[in-house]
Amino acid sequence: MSDPRPVQTALSTLNRRKFLTVAGAGVAGGSLLTMLEARQAPAQIKGTTLRILQWSHFIPAYDAWYDKFAKEWGDKNGVKVRVDHIPHLELPARMAAEFAAGAGHDIIHNGSSILTRLYYKSLVDLSDTYDQIGKKHGGWIPAAKSLVEVEGRYYGLPIYHILLPMLWRKDLFDQAGLKAPDTWELARVAARTLKPKGHPTGMHFSQCADANLNWRSLLFSFGGAEADPSGDNILIDSKETRETMRFAKALFDEGMTPEVFSWDDASDNRFLASGVGCWIHDAISAYRTTEDTNPPVFQNTHIALEPAGPSGKRVSVAAANVWMVWKFAKNQQAAKEFLVHLMDNDREGVIQSRGYNMPYINDGYKKPMPVIGTDPKMQVLQDFPKIVAFFGYPGPFTTPIQEVVNLYVLPDMFTRVGRGQNIEDVMKWGMGEYRRIFSKHKRA
Amino acid sequence: MTTVSLSGGPEPAVRAAVVSAPARTLERAWWQTHNAQRKIFGYTLLAPAALYVLLLVGAPFLFSLWLAVSDANVGDPVARFIGLENFRSAWEMDTFWIAMQNSVVFLVVAAIFKSLLGTSLAFLLLQNFRGKKLIRGLVVIPFTLPIAVSVLSWKWMYDSQFSVINWVLFHAGLIGGYGSESWPIWLGQPQLALAACIAVNVWRNFPFSAIVLLAGFTSVPLEVLDAAKVDGCTFFQRFRHVVVPMIFPILMIGLLFDTVFTLSDLSVVYLLTQGGPGNASKILPVLAYQIGIQAGNLGRGAAIALFLVPLLLPALFLVLRNLKRREY
Repeated sequence: MSDPRPVQTALSTLNRRKFLTVAGAGVAGGSLLTMLEARQAPAQIKGTTLRILQWSHFIPAYDAWYDKFAKEWGDKNGVKVRVDHIPHLELPARMAAEFAAGAGHDIIHNGSSILTRLYYKSLVDLSDTYDQIGKKHGGWIPAAKSLVEVEGRYYGLPIYHILLPMLWRKDLFDQAGLKAPDTWELARVAARTLKPKGHPTGMHFSQCADANLNWRSLLFSFGGAEADPSGDNILIDSKETRETMRFAKALFDEGMTPEVFSWDDASDNRFLASGVGCWIHDAISAYRTTEDTNPPVFQNTHIALEPAGPSGKRVSVAAANVWMVWKFAKNQQAAKEFLVHLMDNDREGVIQSRGYNMPYINDGYKKPMPVIGTDPKMQVLQDFPKIVAFFGYPGPFTTPIQEVVNLYVLPDMFTRVGRGQNIEDVMKWGMGEYRRIFSKHKRA
Repeated sequence: MTTVSLSGGPEPAVRAAVVSAPARTLERAWWQTHNAQRKIFGYTLLAPAALYVLLLVGAPFLFSLWLAVSDANVGDPVARFIGLENFRSAWEMDTFWIAMQNSVVFLVVAAIFKSLLGTSLAFLLLQNFRGKKLIRGLVVIPFTLPIAVSVLSWKWMYDSQFSVINWVLFHAGLIGGYGSESWPIWLGQPQLALAACIAVNVWRNFPFSAIVLLAGFTSVPLEVLDAAKVDGCTFFQRFRHVVVPMIFPILMIGLLFDTVFTLSDLSVVYLLTQGGPGNASKILPVLAYQIGIQAGNLGRGAAIALFLVPLLLPALFLVLRNLKRREY
């Protein structure tokens, strides 16, 4: 016969506070597990609206996929998602307008000109999300944090970047008995050899985004820098910069035509696709344009690793793309959850952009990468993460550097040299501009 | 019940009551007077326009004055007063002086060409010919097209490799082939780049000048022109001594509009060259935009933009003074 007395359990010692703590943790844990299992967002974002501002991608198919992807996520989570696309050059103005109004989109895209340090006081601290994504996907590539880190916190999420490798015509190189452009010197020899045969090269001696990226790749590969790792001190006045400018001048004189002074970001794409250019240093959109418009040239267009400078150093300055969330955003929770979901599907983004979007997360580089890993000519792009850098290298993308970039000071220095101005005069002018900008920001 | 006299007025008793009432009850309030009501009506009609100017022109102008003397930047909600520091900083920039010089060249050269082409076109449109109405409609197309569309078309026409202008010149035997020394790089050679931007500005705006002039020409009475003809005036004498004085106010207003449109024309230069190559086509609005918005220095951008005011003020002063003189 059983003992009728109640069994003494630990519950008898449970007071109300402990009960609430345990029960609360249980409910929260259970909800989280349920949420993760269901792969659905918590109920509080249901019925809300998420507004996203992003650039018009150079690969239109990516935008179509992205819009559908965002809508599907919204439908699944009961969130109405609205995506607005604008040209990338208009993003800074739009961001300034939203900041001034204290209203606008929840998620805002920055392309090339990354304004984290300018706006961080008005941006949501995404450090937790940044860490969470990093842990989940094998960590971030080394250059990623320089874009979004301010005073040890992360105010943005790097989503993808765009590489500007060397795109070269193997058929023309072979016919002239030239080596692949593995170094800048070999690229110069090729331009010198092929220009007289009607196949010059070209780099932008003009004011455009590619000019800012390309000349920095050359400068950094030659061992030069604009600022030190702290980002506070100017280093542009150096023998490395002078050497780079001398090289650029020779490259122009021997291997280019004056049309490079008029180039915009799409001119080199057309230059390659027309069959004239022997090599260009550009994003793979040029490769894709050629594929679509001139298949015979495309067959002979190859992609090379960033050429090495005189000391063997390779630095490839890429166009960064970063997401940020305004502090005044009405739907911060949904914004964070959407960004995590987007990063979880990073691989799909690479596919939809036809290999244009390069990941910031290490897992994204597991070989073979989608699209890139299956195309023998593109496989070399998988080796870029270690040499990728962004504006401000070797330091962060500071506000003075941002102004230097936006005012095209460095491309203007190269343009002046290309036009025949004395290197010392150009250096004096350039240093004047750098000093003025840096000192102004220091005072501020 | 009111009693009415045979003569039609109130009864004498009533009249007396009215006369003996305090004087102030007889006087109408000031807003009820005819003059006041006319004024009120006038101001009411004027109010929307005045409000519009105050809110959408005056307030932003005052705000830009404040920005120009502050260290405002796009990422910082708090701005401090720094006096004329932004102006001094702009003054010290090489690029600023290049932009200032280019702005003046841009304004003067464009104005000359727009005057010549606008006058010629206006005279052409005054003639009687078949399809005149259609042609009048067509000539304003450049002015009415969205600027982004028209400028991008020009960008293609100026392309360094595929320029249709160069193609025509090449096939006319005037220049060598692509890659030769004589092949013009419209947006890549400093003088050509500025000229190319001016050409697009002229192409876009000379129809406006023509329409303004046409409106003036049609307002000149034919009798006056006929009288001048009878007196033996040549075409140019009639134009110089009869037409121009009569349409002078319209010319001045047209000139004022054109000066403002040209000096503040950011789009053409920004879309074609972004101010390049190497600042060769940079004008003040482009520099102000790059520094104020792209680089985030609202204060310095506003200061650079305000340098347009000294350029515009003389034009405004001359125009208004001339108009005022004509009124007397």
